[in-house]
Amino acid sequence: MAAWDLTVTVEDLGPDAPPLQISVTSDLHIGGVILKLVEQTNLKRDWSDHALWWEQKQQWLLRTGWTLDKCGVHADARLIFTPQHKPLRLGLPNGATLKMRACFSSPVFRTVMGICRVLNLRHPEELSLLRPVEEKKKKKDKDSSEELYDLTDVPLTAGSVQALYNGMPAHFADSPKTEAVYKMLSVSLPSPAPEAIAKLYRPASIVDKTHIHTRWLDSSRSLMQQGIQENDKLGLRFKYYTFHDMDPKYDAVRLTQLYEQARWAILLEDIDCTEEEMMLFGALQYHIGKQSLSQDMVSSCQGMDDLESALKSLEVKMVGDGNSTDMLDNMTAPELNDHLKIFRPKRLTLKGYKQYWCKFQETSISYYKSKEDRYGEPIQQLNLKGCEVAPDVNVAGQKFCIKLLIPAPEGMNEIYLRCENEKQYSQWMAACKLASKGLTLLDSSYQSEVQNIQTFLSMQRSSSAAPTSQTDESINTHSLVSPRYQKKYKPKQLTPRILEAYQNIAQLSLTSAILKFLQIWQALPDFGISYFMVRFKGSRKDEVLGIANNRLIRIDLGVGDVVKTWRYSNMRQWNVNWDIRQVAIEFDGNINIAFGCVNADCKVVHEYIGGYIFMSTRARQQSDTLNEELFHKLTGGHEAL
Amino acid sequence: MNFSIGFTDLNASLHDLEDNDLDALMADLVADISATEEKFATERDTFKGSAPVAQIPSQPQSNFNLIASTDTSRPATSSNSIAAPPPPPTSKPSKEELEEQMKADKIKLALEKLKEAKVKKLVVKVEITDGSSKTLMVDERQTVRDVMDNLFEKTHCDCNVDWSVCETNPDLQTERAFEDHENLVEPLSTWTRDTENKVLFQEKKDKYEVFRNPQNFYMWKKDKKSLKDMKDKDKEQLLEENFCGASVIVPDLEGILYLKEDGKKSWRQRYFLLRASGLYYSPKGKTKASRDLVCLVQFDNVNVYYCKEYRIKYKAPTDHCFILKHPQIQKESQYIKYLCCDDVWSMTLWVTGIRIAKYGKQLYDNYKAAVRKAAGSATWANRTIQTSSNASTPSPTPKAKAANGHASHPAVETKGPGNQTSFPPPPPPSMEILPPQPPDPMLPPPLPAPSSTTKVNKFPPPPQFPQSSIPPPPTDDLPPPPPPPEDAEQPPDFLPPPPTSMTSYGGAALPPPPPEPLASLPPPPPAPQNFASAGGAPPPPPPPPPPPAPAPAAYQPTNSVRKVAPSPPQRTTPQLAAPSGGDFMSELMTAMQKKRSQP
Repeated sequence: MAAWDLTVTVEDLGPDAPPLQISVTSDLHIGGVILKLVEQTNLKRDWSDHALWWEQKQQWLLRTGWTLDKCGVHADARLIFTPQHKPLRLGLPNGATLKMRACFSSPVFRTVMGICRVLNLRHPEELSLLRPVEEKKKKKDKDSSEELYDLTDVPLTAGSVQALYNGMPAHFADSPKTEAVYKMLSVSLPSPAPEAIAKLYRPASIVDKTHIHTRWLDSSRSLMQQGIQENDKLGLRFKYYTFHDMDPKYDAVRLTQLYEQARWAILLEDIDCTEEEMMLFGALQYHIGKQSLSQDMVSSCQGMDDLESALKSLEVKMVGDGNSTDMLDNMTAPELNDHLKIFRPKRLTLKGYKQYWCKFQETSISYYKSKEDRYGEPIQQLNLKGCEVAPDVNVAGQKFCIKLLIPAPEGMNEIYLRCENEKQYSQWMAACKLASKGLTLLDSSYQSEVQNIQTFLSMQRSSSAAPTSQTDESINTHSLVSPRYQKKYKPKQLTPRILEAYQNIAQLSLTSAILKFLQIWQALPDFGISYFMVRFKGSRKDEVLGIANNRLIRIDLGVGDVVKTWRYSNMRQWNVNWDIRQVAIEFDGNINIAFGCVNADCKVVHEYIGGYIFMSTRARQQSDTLNEELFHKLTGGHEAL
Repeated sequence: MNFSIGFTDLNASLHDLEDNDLDALMADLVADISATEEKFATERDTFKGSAPVAQIPSQPQSNFNLIASTDTSRPATSSNSIAAPPPPPTSKPSKEELEEQMKADKIKLALEKLKEAKVKKLVVKVEITDGSSKTLMVDERQTVRDVMDNLFEKTHCDCNVDWSVCETNPDLQTERAFEDHENLVEPLSTWTRDTENKVLFQEKKDKYEVFRNPQNFYMWKKDKKSLKDMKDKDKEQLLEENFCGASVIVPDLEGILYLKEDGKKSWRQRYFLLRASGLYYSPKGKTKASRDLVCLVQFDNVNVYYCKEYRIKYKAPTDHCFILKHPQIQKESQYIKYLCCDDVWSMTLWVTGIRIAKYGKQLYDNYKAAVRKAAGSATWANRTIQTSSNASTPSPTPKAKAANGHASHPAVETKGPGNQTSFPPPPPPSMEILPPQPPDPMLPPPLPAPSSTTKVNKFPPPPQFPQSSIPPPPTDDLPPPPPPPEDAEQPPDFLPPPPTSMTSYGGAALPPPPPEPLASLPPPPPAPQNFASAGGAPPPPPPPPPPPAPAPAAYQPTNSVRKVAPSPPQRTTPQLAAPSGGDFMSELMTAMQKKRSQP
């Protein structure tokens, strides 16, 4: 067979080195080509990760057994001999950028699996990569200075079982640098400065939201094939909103990153919520941030959680146990005694606050005309069990009031308690809060409750001074809410509202708080819907198709209303006509729909639907191994089949 | 403090309490003060029942029946104090007089004890749909589910999932079904002293409709007819999606409702939306976007109530109204949110949606428990209600016991009979076993057993109870040989009912409960298959086919011992063991029981 010259660029020889010419015959297999090539470079090194990339055809020549003829390579081909794993800058859900090696030659689905294995993220099928939002040129300079975490030196382990060392996967325990990376991954980051939030891109309308999803990479093709170069930046995000088998024990990184993604979705108004919900999200963020700061390592934090839950259950036992109440009865219950000002708003009275001697005992407040009268009958005794407690605080104005709504058969009795200072306020407030739940001052959570309230108050004090990011003591409430509410409320208006929501969650452990955040997020009506701009067959206008984990929805752009919902459970089949790039779906009852995608590739839509179908099969097959083949079967294009 | 609900005073309520309930109450209270109880419980084994046998024979059959029935309905805790009725040799001057006197004494005592008791108990009068009423004791630890199980037992109704305990408030003209997991005493104790509120026991179709036809709630926008034929599989999937995820999905209800304006008489139309976080409306001129919504109320502190005839009372546009209020509010107030819907169905939708938002997955769990209960009772239909309730509910007894401060650990932790093995024999389990023996008076006992023999049967030497309860090694005391078929004499009530007699029981109101004891106690040796059923499943008819022909004379002690083994020991022992505790009250009670049993 006739020999001919094959031109191959070897990257390792340097950017200026001329391409090598090797003499080959058409029946030489790829492995042979590589062997010849390596011999000719005269370089001694590990070439095992290298493979041939065919530039013009945008494809890898990975089957070493195939001959050049079979691959269709002729003398005009320009091949590049390059490593399959290259560094990539990954934008994580928490906003940090991590430099690490990823596979550029396998389908993105598998590349993501590899990345997730290094990051110790379970269920990689739920995540994928997307191209970043195109940034404006001006900002580019600034971004070059962004803090970069580097994991490129970490070897890619093949084994799926991760050995733990110091509470983290062994490959993170190598150096302080990698330990820092693990901490970044598994502990939520401090709240960003409000200005930083305002500066970031926010989708202003549902149309904007459809753009996000045009950026997903194709899972069945490799990074190189999709034009991704070494050191390019890609985003790693949870793509399918169905989180299988979440277990805080094994999912430290997954939980944290999911929380971060949810937090940013809320802060950037990717998903709409009401004001009340926003305040609760704000309170939870504050609580999570504070808890994360107080915990150095994840390992210790898990230990703490366990301990905490153990203590909790012990507490419950004590409460539920008749004997302990006997025991407690014999001890003198602690009380609070102090002068407070009380105000009972009534119709047609203009009376203001009046000072009384108040005693807090068990779950009740008794008040007396003066300290001297305290052994007599109180003017009134208020049992706070079941009441609503709300703060009415303005630190700058030195106003520390507790608003109590005490239920009575006739309605709610409204009573205001005015405290002198922060210290008094936090003690009485904590007592009221516990009493409303039927707990007394004896309860173990009392001290921490007092502490919490004091810390939160200090937030308000410092918010006017230094509006930067969260430090140990202070935080600007503006960094807990989306720009809409930053505009709507001043920090001093926001603080009491968040404080109010905070009362109900202050006792949660870090993990529970994160889970609670995710739970509320998942309960939002618009949760988990990915939007695409489409045009239905037979329709003349663009409409929006929402894809969720169990249904498709059709949204009228003019009104913004859901016009129609189709559930996957009624879906017979769906297919794609790749020539006219149209997705056709058939539902039970002879319902057929077809649409083309306006701004996204129809492969993305197809993959989304197939992906959700794939996710729903997971519950049934209890095995841990990921059925990659099934995924590609459900999401692949015509190339894959 | 108020101790009774639905009565003018506590005294009246106690009068209304069925005798056995009163006994139970007393027993609880006595248990509360008798510190030695536990000691006796442990001592009990040592007695091994030899003594009791001697004592019992003198008891007349009729008396036995009466006691037995008392036992069955009484919470286990009470066992010690009243369980053993010693044949009181008292003469009966005038039966009625004595009875009256007894009851008065008991009530007096009960009143005192109630005030002392650490655990809050209420005597509640529950009205039933047919116009009758039942009075029962409710312990503060009992959930509505427990109370309903109790009511099922008392009313002999089918136990379908729609049964609900409801509260009505005539002032507000409201009605609300308590959720099964709720505590009953807590809301009732916030009622005012002079309240006319009532507790009802009735079937409520709305209660769990969302779980039977989730599509009507979750796909409410669609034409109801098209949803009618939804496949069960699809319904299940809907429930799975909405109730089994990380967070419960609330139906996406939205639409126009009328809201009564604060402090005014007018009703104003608003566009409302339901979210997991609360009930919202969109203000005039704004969009339905989340950010523009105004929160009317969040659900943490309020409950949702159906209202009646608000067209007249508040000039509402329709009579399909519901309100949201703090449970303690009992009268008209500005803190109540009044809402009015166009039709009944939309009201059902909203009220159910709000309940889902408020209770989340708990609601689904309640439903599943209710279904289990209903299924259980259906299988047991031919058996005694008593048994089935014992089997499927962790009966309030153990809890009540703990509540009394005795904290006998076994009692607290023992939910199912299976656990009991590990502990020194706690009194409660014994009670559970008791039911089987006594032939209920209402039941035509298959065999008229002569009193003398019966007695022996009932109080045979107790088997070694404390050992393992499930497959128990037959102890030396127990003659293992299975009963020869000739042993006709044996009254069937003790035994796992023979297949033949089973049929006869079929129609009876109170069938024989034998399966239960088998599960919890050392079961009669011959019936190992029955163990499989431990835990409440209806056991198969026991193996030894008892003879159809009763031959009283042929009675063999060995057989009787074997058969009866499980139950009796505990019952007699306390009495014997605790003469000191055999205080005047139990004395009174036994005397009274004796009295009553006189024909």
